[in-house]
Amino acid sequence: MAKHVTVKVKKTLWDRVEQCARVAGYSSAEEFLEHVLERELAKLETADSDEEILQKLRGLGYIE
Amino acid sequence: MRWLLVAVWIGWVWDSGHTTPSGWDLAYIGPGAGFAFLGSFLALVWALLLSLGTLLTWPVRVALKSRRRRKWLRRAQVRKVIILGLDGLDPRLAERWMDEGKLPNLARLRAEGAFRRLRTTCPALSPVAWSTFATGVSPAKHRIFDFLDRNLRTYLLELSSSRVYRPRRYLKLGHFQIPLERPQLEQRRKSIPFWRILGEHGVDCTVLRVPLTFPPEPFAGRLLAGMCTPDLRGTQGSFSFFTTRALDSTAEGGNFYRLTRRGDLLEGWLEGPENPLRRDRRPLRVRFFLRACGDQQVELHIQGRRYRLDKGQYSPWIRVAFRAAPGVAAWGICRFLLKQVEPETELYVTPINVDPERPALPISHPHYYAPYLAKLLGPYATLGLAEDTWALSEGVIDEGAFLDQVWAIHAEREAMFFNALERQRTGLIACVFDASDRIQHMFYRYLDGRAQGPYKQAVEQMYRRMDELVGKALEYVDEGTVLLVMSDHGFGPFRRGVNLNSWLYQQGYLALQDGAMTSGPYFQGVDWTRTRAYAFGLAGIYLNLQGREAQGIVKPGREAEQLKKELAAKLCGLVDEQCGQSAIRQVYITSSLYRGPYVREGPDLLIGYAEGYRASWECAKGQVTSQVFEENSRPWSGDHAMDPSCVPGVLFVNRPLAVEQPGIEDLAPTVLALFGIEPPAHMDGKPMFQSGLVAREYEEIQESV
Repeated sequence: MAKHVTVKVKKTLWDRVEQCARVAGYSSAEEFLEHVLERELAKLETADSDEEILQKLRGLGYIE
Repeated sequence: MRWLLVAVWIGWVWDSGHTTPSGWDLAYIGPGAGFAFLGSFLALVWALLLSLGTLLTWPVRVALKSRRRRKWLRRAQVRKVIILGLDGLDPRLAERWMDEGKLPNLARLRAEGAFRRLRTTCPALSPVAWSTFATGVSPAKHRIFDFLDRNLRTYLLELSSSRVYRPRRYLKLGHFQIPLERPQLEQRRKSIPFWRILGEHGVDCTVLRVPLTFPPEPFAGRLLAGMCTPDLRGTQGSFSFFTTRALDSTAEGGNFYRLTRRGDLLEGWLEGPENPLRRDRRPLRVRFFLRACGDQQVELHIQGRRYRLDKGQYSPWIRVAFRAAPGVAAWGICRFLLKQVEPETELYVTPINVDPERPALPISHPHYYAPYLAKLLGPYATLGLAEDTWALSEGVIDEGAFLDQVWAIHAEREAMFFNALERQRTGLIACVFDASDRIQHMFYRYLDGRAQGPYKQAVEQMYRRMDELVGKALEYVDEGTVLLVMSDHGFGPFRRGVNLNSWLYQQGYLALQDGAMTSGPYFQGVDWTRTRAYAFGLAGIYLNLQGREAQGIVKPGREAEQLKKELAAKLCGLVDEQCGQSAIRQVYITSSLYRGPYVREGPDLLIGYAEGYRASWECAKGQVTSQVFEENSRPWSGDHAMDPSCVPGVLFVNRPLAVEQPGIEDLAPTVLALFGIEPPAHMDGKPMFQSGLVAREYEEIQESV
């Protein structure tokens, strides 16, 4: 399981995050923040090699 | 005292497994024998300190636990909830065989409690439906829409359920490298499983093999990971087939390997995980020898041990150590099946499962739970999709060998389940059995007359065995227990495949490079700069959206909405002219069907195939072929990736049920409510029992508290 780290944000921002997370249907404000970060990182990060990714799918009965 | 024993035992497991204190990091194989020794010594010191700490804090912990337990028992309507998950059990088949008197225990539950068709998710796929079961929310809130997801930069397909991040820093020494950090594993299903909430309230929980629980998330309970847990090679299940026959160059490697004659022995090499200490990541291998003993038997020599293999019979689980360096190994277990001795020798080996006694990956929470079960009950399959449907599809094993494998795994699961029922008097025990799903996938052709032969009764026999399992579980049900027997979806025939990519290409929504008429798998040859929509997996169609996909060309907003409506209108009722019937019953625009933060990350259109149809094999892999429709002649002949209205699941309860049309999203809030816990506001499901329906038992519990 991935480790967690603590990040500090301003209280005013956190209050807004908590409120928006509730309205949007997230289970927690942390989940909302993670989602925002992941969405942005997906645009920037490089991917694993093609072979490596496809190797992980081997044996998945639904597509093999 | 129990804590002290557990702590000492953990230390012993760490020590004997040469693993570091996390207990699972053989995916990251450590830096060498010196470190391994130091690690063992530190593990021992750590275990002693832990023992001392647990001993000193024991009275406080017992008092706190007892207080929390009294608190939930005061509010709870029940003492214990048992969830018996039978993956893929179909209500129509269950009704038929209950009416014929073949499923007496399920019929008893129906008569004395309740039986309903359980609404499944759209799409009706196990990872999606079980994620909704666990979290009580729709796919738009848990983010799992299919087995597969795509990388938005490369359009390559990847598993939707988890992700492995390799170490980024290595010390490089010629051909070798030493990782300077651990790999990270990430569970990609979002939201909160209900057992975590139960744990926070002090309710004891055992969760066994619920799909999409890999890697296990920490919570105050015990969990063994299920579907999508990889094998030791990091795949979803790669068998090995060894033969003395000459293999053509395309077949050799991957899954097919040569047996080489060495005097009167045959030599083979079992391929394991890649070597993280080598820069070329060459796979680690284990050599074995076979010595023929007549034409029905061979002797297997592997890592200094000998086993007798009888033709047509599986060996017990055999432990193999893939050594990267002295004292550094990844441990796996596999079973051997001798198929033939003469004139050519053939040997099938199951996918190499992560050894539960020395797990190289986190397959349970807490880490020692998997080794605990292995020590108690013997080795067991840990691979998510442990039943080797691929080998049966490839003709490497026959139906009989497949069934033997399925039922052996089922027996292991039963042992775990009943062990939990024996030991746990209150709280939640949830266990999912997979035999029902795998047997229907592979034997549906016998049920609907497409195939004839000795396995005509295989599906019915499976239903009978599941009924026996329910009967045995009922023996553990008392007045304070609610038993929920449920499935995530039903089943139907898979006769014809629909290639949505071919249809999109023919209709001008998907473009190929250089005037090609077909593409390779995984979108090889697709021209993304001219492609507006594409499909993969089993769920539906994705728009090539600007700002989301790296080469997206469809503008979000009006253009995207119009395209969705246009595609939905054209696809709904799509006729398979060869059969003269509609292949698609309904097309759902995901953003109209679901509301939630991840709605944009799944397919933009969900396809509700008519009964008998599913996404074709090539479509699932993102390939354009010359035909939109194709016959499915594979043994994988039953499926559920069709319109959810065609494949509801089952729900049997040992209590009257007021709700007429429950959905799988209702299970999580129902269990929380039974334990007197208010379901969180973000959950989409609703409790199924009205307050007071279990009042009689509630009062009895109150008295006993």
